This record gives sequence, structure tokens and C-alpha cells, in this order.
Amino acid sequence: MTAAPYNYNYIFKYIIIGDMGVGKSCLLHQFTEKKFMANCPHTIGVEFGTRIIEVDDKKIKLQIWDTAGQERFRAVTRSYYRGAAGALMVYDITRRSTYNHLSSWLTDTRNLTNPSTVIFLIGNKSDLESTREVTYEEAKEFADENGLMFLEASAMTGQNVEEAFLETARKIYQNIQEGRLDLNASESGVQHRPSQPSRTSLSSEATNVKDQCSC
Amino acid sequence: MEELLNDVVPQEDLERFEKKYHHEQELDGEVSTETKFEYAFCLVRSRYTNDIRKGIMILEELARLHPDGRRDYIYYLAFGNARIKNYTEGLKYCRAFLEIESNDQVRSLEEYIKKQSDKEIAKGMAVAGGAALVLGGILAIAMAKNNRNRDK
Ligand SMILES: Nc1nc2c(ncn2[C@@H]2O[C@H](COP(=O)(O)OP(=O)(O)OP(=O)(O)O)[C@@H](O)[C@H]2O)c(=O)[nH]1
Ligand SMILES: [Mg+2]
Repeated sequence: MTAAPYNYNYIFKYIIIGDMGVGKSCLLHQFTEKKFMANCPHTIGVEFGTRIIEVDDKKIKLQIWDTAGQERFRAVTRSYYRGAAGALMVYDITRRSTYNHLSSWLTDTRNLTNPSTVIFLIGNKSDLESTREVTYEEAKEFADENGLMFLEASAMTGQNVEEAFLETARKIYQNIQEGRLDLNASESGVQHRPSQPSRTSLSSEATNVKDQCSC
Repeated sequence: MEELLNDVVPQEDLERFEKKYHHEQELDGEVSTETKFEYAFCLVRSRYTNDIRKGIMILEELARLHPDGRRDYIYYLAFGNARIKNYTEGLKYCRAFLEIESNDQVRSLEEYIKKQSDKEIAKGMAVAGGAALVLGGILAIAMAKNNRNRDK
């Protein structure tokens, strides 16, 4: 089989984590399908989504693993953290308990990913202002203290959903450019794909063969 | 969907939950439902068919005895069966699930299994087609011979 040229230059692996019901699957769905699911059942184990985006004229394929927040999946979904280039850590601004659990999610993430993994905190359901239980300022302070990127978003209205996924990718890309992320490390969560693989190498091989034949 | 089914459990995770399972078995003579599920969840994501089969057996038992977690068990029964190309069984579990609950995650697994099993059927037909050609060829030769004999 001939290697078809990839239509992207990089693959970034993301995970989405956080308590059950905070809206992880809805955020993913909004990002990949631009639609809101009003009645979304609990994820079983893990779901998967993908989308190709562009950063700095480079095409990047995001492979996104959306984990189940239900407690019984907590231990087994830890396998998916390994090799994540980006982690979207989600809480629900209308449920304080989901915010209080962040430090435990953060501990897992730090323990199971690389130092270069970009962690983006999302306060979801920002459309539900009237039932808010966590202020923006408080969460922003938590994010700053822990070196996390942060936005409030709404999977329902779509507000800041693109931004969260794209800014994570930009940060990962920047880490690559600045040499903070080792592309050769097996668990960097990034794969580089030359956009025109084997084309050039094939033709040079072909000329080599010809050269040999002619002598 | 393909990525989910092709994804393989890290060996060390499989081993960790396997150890936990055996540890409980030795210590208490029985294994908790959670530990069984965790072990089965790793087994059905293994690279090896025998592991997947073992995972399916554990999940079948769980689904029979513990109705509260049934949707998780049935989903991973469909998933495990799909990974070892037991498409008929896989579809059965998807349909059983969808009768109880409308669910996009299960629906996309069902669609994927259907597509894969259609592909297998098409392959089977291609082989049958090949056999038909071969047999047809033999028949044609035999008939030509017969005709010649008759001409004589
Ligand atoms: N108002 C509002 N509701 C939301 C938003 N995002 C999600 N929801 C609702 O919250 C519920 C849970 O959303 P999910 O996306 O299933 O939550 P999850 O984090 O994936 O949950 P698990 O899969 O169990 O871990 C669903 O009923 C959604 O419709 C949002 O931004 N605004
Ligand atoms: Mg979910």
C-alpha cells in the first residue's frame, strides 16, 4: 500500500476529566459537532472525538478522550491520562462540590501525565448565572496558583468552547516551538506527521535504483 | 469509534487490576463487584483474544447478578465482542441496551459493528464469487468435452 499524504501535520492527544454531570461530553460534542445535547446520558467508560484545527498554518488533528466521571470508572479511566498533551479539567459553576473536587483531579493529572502536559480548567454552564455557586474570581485564583489556563464556558450556548480547545492547542504548539516538549518522547502526547511523507524519499530511491541499473 | 476499539490497555494497568483481583480472591475467597468490573474493563481492552474472552465471561456474570450496573456491563459486552469480531453477539448486546435506553454512545458502537460485519459478509461473498467462477469454469470445460464427445 502506498502511504497517502496526511492531511495534518500533528496529532495532539487530549483528555477531558472532572466529576460526573459537569458537561464534559456536551463540551466535546459542541466542539466537534457544534450542537448541544440537552439530555445527555452518563458516559460509559470513555468516549472519543476528533477534529482537525489550524494553529500557525499547521494542521493539527485533536484526538480527544472524554472520560466518565462516575466514581466506579475513576480507577480504570486513569489509563487514558498517559501520554496526554492536553488535559481539560471541567467543573460545573452551579455545583460547588464539583469545584471542591478539583484538587483531587489535579493530583491525578499531575501524577499520570508529563510536566509539559497543558492543563486547562473550564468552569462549565456559564449560561446558568442565576444558580452560580462558584465565582469567576475564586476559580481564577485557584487556576493562577496552580499554573492552569482558565475560562468559563457554556456547552449550551457554545460560549468559549472553541477558545478552550484551541488555546490548549496553541499552548502545546508553543511548547513544541520552544523546545519544552520532546517530540521523540513516547508519552509526549504529540505525533509529528510530515505533510508530504515518502514522496521525496520515494523519488530519490527511484533515482538510486536507476543509477544502479545503468552501471 | 475505530480509535476506541483499537486502543489497547497499558500492560501495567492490566497487571495491576489482575493482581487486585487475585489478591481479593485469596484474602476473602471472593472478589468485590468493583474489582471484577475493573479487571474485566482492562481485559476486554487487551491485545489478546483470550483476555477479551475472559473479560466477557466476567461481564456476563456481573450482568446476570448485578442489575444496578447493567448498562455498563452490557456496553462493554458489546465492545468486547466487537473487538474479537463476534459481530452477531455484539449487535445483540447493543440492541438489548437500546431497547432500555436511547443512547448515542451505544448507537455509534452499533453502527460501527454493523459496518464491520457488512464488510466481512462482502468479503465472504467475494470468496463465494471466486468459487462460483472456478466451479463455473470446470462446468464449462466439462460441457465443452461433452459437446465434443457428442460431435464424435
Ligand atoms: N445549562 C447547561 N447545561 C449543560 C451544559 N453542559 C452540559 N449541560 C447538561 O448537563 C448534563 C450533563 O452533561 P454531560 O455532558 O453528560 O456531563 P458529563 O460530564 O459528560 O457526565 P459523565 O459522562 O457522567 O461524566 C446534561 O443534561 C447536559 O445537558 C451547559 O453548558 N449549560
Ligand atoms: Mg460524559
